[in-house]
Order: sequence, then structure tokens, then C-alpha cells
Amino acid sequence: MRRVEHVMGFPVSVRIDDEDFPEAPVDGLFAWLRAVDARFSPFRPDSEVSRLDRGEVREPGPELREVLGLCEEYRVTTGGAFDVRLPGRRLDPCAVVKGWSVQKGAELLAAAGARRFCLNAGGDVVAAGGPWRVGVRHPEHADRLCTVLDLTDRAVATSARYERGDHIIDGRTGRPATGLLSLTVVAPTLTEADTVATAAFAMGAEGVEWAAERAGCEVFAVDAGRRVLRSAGFPVYR
Amino acid sequence: MKRAIPVLVLSVAGLIPVWRYAPSHDGGASSTVTEAAAPASTPSASSSGGTTSTVVSGSAIDTEKGPVQVEVTFDGQRIASVRMLRQPNHPQTTAAVPKLIEETLRAQSADIDTVSGATITSDGYKESLQAAIDAKG
Repeated sequence: MRRVEHVMGFPVSVRIDDEDFPEAPVDGLFAWLRAVDARFSPFRPDSEVSRLDRGEVREPGPELREVLGLCEEYRVTTGGAFDVRLPGRRLDPCAVVKGWSVQKGAELLAAAGARRFCLNAGGDVVAAGGPWRVGVRHPEHADRLCTVLDLTDRAVATSARYERGDHIIDGRTGRPATGLLSLTVVAPTLTEADTVATAAFAMGAEGVEWAAERAGCEVFAVDAGRRVLRSAGFPVYR
Repeated sequence: MKRAIPVLVLSVAGLIPVWRYAPSHDGGASSTVTEAAAPASTPSASSSGGTTSTVVSGSAIDTEKGPVQVEVTFDGQRIASVRMLRQPNHPQTTAAVPKLIEETLRAQSADIDTVSGATITSDGYKESLQAAIDAKG
């Protein structure tokens, strides 16, 4: 079964290989992602995130608390490079919300009995079961790949500037991060893969090593000089 | 990184006597470096061996940040864990130093199930490789 819907401003593609898998859990997945968008989008004035940012909500709910807790954890471990509360800007936890919510969506499918499925949310992938062959988009050629992964029961996320420009800010300087062309992280969950990829990209060249140091994380980076740096355990498809 | 390199080198230098003690050199230098560096951040991983485990202390090496000394636990002929007995009070020495492989950037095509990339917008989707994969079904 395959389905594509547009949620949170990006396409979400689902492929489930389990035979006769029902539609209802897939409906549930998209309903969850829409609910997350309504609650956590900084672009919606009535979202919980916007109301918290304006001081209209005193205590965030348990899920937003979990998200903001992750944001704070990454702000500290990146020495402030990753920061969802940049001066002069609105609170923007999107980088954590995306991976976190899609990971939870994948867990909804798994709880409904899906065993072999692939969930791709705007380029961030949860690969359940496997093996899956996951291409990584070449940073300079949209129709080419720079590597192919062999992935089973893991997640992969990529941060780069080629789609949405200089949108990742190094919180230490307040300026766009430009040290890397593209950085891909494989991790046990998409929550971690997506946040580590964004945080490492914000750090620039030193973020490659920072990400590779994390237990369970594998990294493939293309730096500004078009040099590839990858961790020894990065699961390249052979 | 610049400060991490001499520390890593000296940590490894401290390992050399320990290394000679080991009956086998199978892993080669680079994998020993990786294993040596990794448990430094998780000292709790040590001493889980069975009857064949051996604990060896390396000699202390003076560095510009202070003395460095490691303790290695062998499980048979394999290094089970490495613990820092003495280390300078400096954040760089507490982090593991991963081994990164350098390659040249290649542009390739392949038969794949899905594509990872920077967050694509719904507008950009039509032109993407993922759209082609979804359409193919």
C-alpha cells in the first residue's frame, strides 16, 4: 500500500508492504500529523507554540514539554549552535517537532501491526523492517544521489541548504550555517536522526565529528569544499 | 578537534605497553583507536567479562593538559573496555573521538526505495526523485 499526503508544508509518502494492511491506521497517522501541525506550528497564531511564545499559555502541555526538553538538551550539547529561541525571532521548535512527530506516527503504524514499511516525510525517513535501499540526494544535482543506504529498522534525516536556502541558523553567531553542503544522520529513531542532523548542520564543519560521536549515530557529510566525510559504520549499500 | 588530536595520540601512546601485552594484534591500529576512544565517555561499560577477563593499566603519560593514564579490560584477547584512570580536567578529553572516512563526492543513480534529502516543500515535490518513486508505485 502506498499513499502520499501533504502535511506541515511537505509531502509525506507512506509505503507499507504488509499484505492487506488496513487504511484506518494510515488515516490515523495523517490525522496525528495534522494535529501536531495545528498545535506546534509557529506559523499558526492559534497554536500552542505561538500562544506559549506570546505568554498566553503559562505551562506547556506534556507533549510540548517533551519537545522543548529535547530542544534544550540539544542547545546545551551543541554549545548554543542549535537554538529554537533565537533573539528577535519567534519560538521555532520545527526541527525537533518534525522528527519527533513522524517517529510517533511510525510507532502508530507499528502498533497497528505494520512490520515492513517506509515513511518518508519531506526527505526524512523511518525504515521499519527491511532491508530498504535509501538514496541520499546529491547536494548539487536534484536528480542524482551521493550515496545509497542499506537500512533496516532505523531512521535517516538530511539537513542541507539546497531546498529552502539558508534557513538553519548557527545560534552562536546568529548567522546562517554555511560550513556544510549537506549532512545525513542515521539513528535508531527519526527523533534523534532529524534533530542531530539539524543541530550538527548548525554547528558547521565541527558538527560532523560531534554527530559521529553520538552513540548509535552514523554520519555522511559533504562539506563546503565538496569533500565527503562519513563515519566508519555508515551503512552504505553494496 | 585540534586539541583532541594530541590527546588522542597520547591516549594511544599510553595504550602501547598494554597493546604489547595483548597476545593478538588482530584488530589493527585504527580499530584499536576507535575502541580505545569510545568507552572513555561510558566508563560504566567496563568489567563485564567472564572468567577470562584481564585488567591492565597503562603507564601515565604527561601531556600539556596534565597526565593521562588508561586501564584496559581484556575479554580473552579482545579489548572489552578502556577506562581513563587519569585525565586532564578538560572537556575535550571526555569525548570519544570517532573515526571519519574521507571520500570524494560522487553523483550516482541507483534503483532505490526512497530518498533522504533536505526538507522538500510541497511545491518542490513534483520535480523530486521521491515523486517519481511514488508515481511508479
